[in-house]
Amino acid sequence: MKNRILIVDDSFYMRTMLKNMLSDAGYEVVGEAANGQQALEMASATRPDLITLDVILPDNTGLDVLKGIRQEQPDVKVVMCSAVGQEVIVNEALESGATAYIVKPFSEEKVLEIVGGALQNQGTDSSEA
Amino acid sequence: MKSREEEYREIFMAEALEYYDAMSRHISELEKDPGDEKALHELFRLMHNLKANARAMGFNAIGEVAHRMETIFGLIRSKERTFSGSMVPVLFDGIDTIGSLIRGLDQEDEITTDPEQLLENLDLLVQGEEPILEGEDKNADEDATRKLELSDLVYIQIKKLDHLLNLVGELIIDRDRILTLSQEIGNPALQAAASHLFRIADDLQYSVMDARLVNVGSLFNKFPRVVRDVAVAEKKEVELTINGQDIQIDRNILQIITDALLHLVRNAIGHGLETPEERQRAGKPERGSLTLSAQTERDDVLIQVIDDGKGIDVEQVRRKAVERGLVSAEASRTLDTNAVRAFLFEPGFSMAKEVTDISGRGVGLDVVKLAIDSLGGQLRVDSILGQGTTFTLVLPTSIAVKGALLFELEERSYAIPLMHTDSVVSLQPKQLHVVGGILMARLLGENIPVVDLRKLLHNGDSPLAPALKAELVGRQDIIIVNYNNRKLGLIVDRFLRQQDIVIKPMSKPLDMIDLFGGVTLLGSGQVCLVIDVPALTRLFLARRP
Repeated sequence: MKNRILIVDDSFYMRTMLKNMLSDAGYEVVGEAANGQQALEMASATRPDLITLDVILPDNTGLDVLKGIRQEQPDVKVVMCSAVGQEVIVNEALESGATAYIVKPFSEEKVLEIVGGALQNQGTDSSEA
Repeated sequence: MKSREEEYREIFMAEALEYYDAMSRHISELEKDPGDEKALHELFRLMHNLKANARAMGFNAIGEVAHRMETIFGLIRSKERTFSGSMVPVLFDGIDTIGSLIRGLDQEDEITTDPEQLLENLDLLVQGEEPILEGEDKNADEDATRKLELSDLVYIQIKKLDHLLNLVGELIIDRDRILTLSQEIGNPALQAAASHLFRIADDLQYSVMDARLVNVGSLFNKFPRVVRDVAVAEKKEVELTINGQDIQIDRNILQIITDALLHLVRNAIGHGLETPEERQRAGKPERGSLTLSAQTERDDVLIQVIDDGKGIDVEQVRRKAVERGLVSAEASRTLDTNAVRAFLFEPGFSMAKEVTDISGRGVGLDVVKLAIDSLGGQLRVDSILGQGTTFTLVLPTSIAVKGALLFELEERSYAIPLMHTDSVVSLQPKQLHVVGGILMARLLGENIPVVDLRKLLHNGDSPLAPALKAELVGRQDIIIVNYNNRKLGLIVDRFLRQQDIVIKPMSKPLDMIDLFGGVTLLGSGQVCLVIDVPALTRLFLARRP
């Protein structure tokens, strides 16, 4: 059975890249959300196995979204996505139950390695550019 | 076919220019009111995105500027710096530079902006030091020669696009008329001009149609919320999957199917999917699966609502159809599964009241069917008992033109939309048989009723007289139409050709005749009636001997 992934990012460019990388690798991308509100709704409706979550969103921080999702779905794997410079939020996210994080810009191999690892619950990893 | 690299680059450019416009707006807001936290957050967020995207594309200059700008906006946000003094012109300069760097990507021959001085100043600001501002003169000079840049995107009311499309429709009709006239007159210069007009009008038509296309995602993305609410109300557990958000379709078509799709999704959760307990007993995962998917198939868009629920009990539908008097008990036994399921779309055919716990489908599906019919689309249902149901909406991409088959009957031209034509055959009388007063043709192992279209149109309110084989003389040209999984053969005088037509609604009082979906004008100037296949099929069923 394919693992089901929800992508949360406010940039269409980022969503497109992630979607292509993940679906090429055989994952099923069940939806894309561009803001926190959409992310919460889609997470609840699509029940993914894993969520890639951008740390900075237009309506709230990725951190708030993470907490919202965790309340409802304690088991879903969440991979935080951030560009360098937001390490503080990333650390806080890991403490609040994020499974792993990726630093943008990311290579396809790194994304697949971290997503694959997170799905096998191997804890955190990073991908310094 | 665009390569992925090209696609990424185009998306990057479009999004970056959008960010640049928004950043220019927000920094002006911040200048007016340095306490505007919303503007500040947006500047920070957009810089963050631009940095990440630019680095992913390898556009390092943009990435470097955006990275430093993001840091400074971050410091302002955390109140470690204030948006004032010498910082303000540097940040304005930063956004301007980002703008010219982005535009520079498209113009390889132009000297690209060198952001070295800017980067230095941004670094100084990050460290809390004073930036080095150049002479006032240079700035004033630059400001005076600055070009005003307008956004590349325009928002437009759909009403204006509707008007444009109507005009194009008129133009196409006149174009075909002119083309025919030019051939009749036979002047080569006129013919050349007419064929040029033909190509231009064709281009124009496709450009207007293209401008009206929107992503199916703009509708699909509203469904997570709906699914969640309905699932809670129905005490079901539902896992939603959405596919094909990027498929494009005419905006008005999407508007028209909104309610139909809402209906199908509610139905799927309410009546298709079982409760977690029922699912467990049936050996299925507790959480039901619901998929909304869109894909293109030739010129059509297929939208599907797929559930893995209990499916449709065909025998139940068959019994119900007999009870409702839609078909005799005897005839019902000969109907195949598809023909039986088609009853679900009959007006008022509800399985809900008596058999909720067995099937419960069919609540108002006729309304869904009507919406799809009005677009000239098709609605199909496939189901496996115990495994789930799939509703498929076959929709045209655009409402402007439709492919049609033209034929002649009593020296008049008629058109049938290709969406409803199954095949075209010429049969000898000996290949047709009379069964129960109805002509039947056996084609590819299927028995298809055939009717003389002339008789069907002229018969008035009385039932058709039983068909007689003796009336058939010579080869019969027959168009097999398909509606709601029912095939019907129509005998016509002569096939003409296949052609794209622009359908115009009929004016009163002709619109009382619901057998025709509209009219179209042919190049010859002749008015051609467009047959409404759903209405014609219903008429045949009502009038059959």
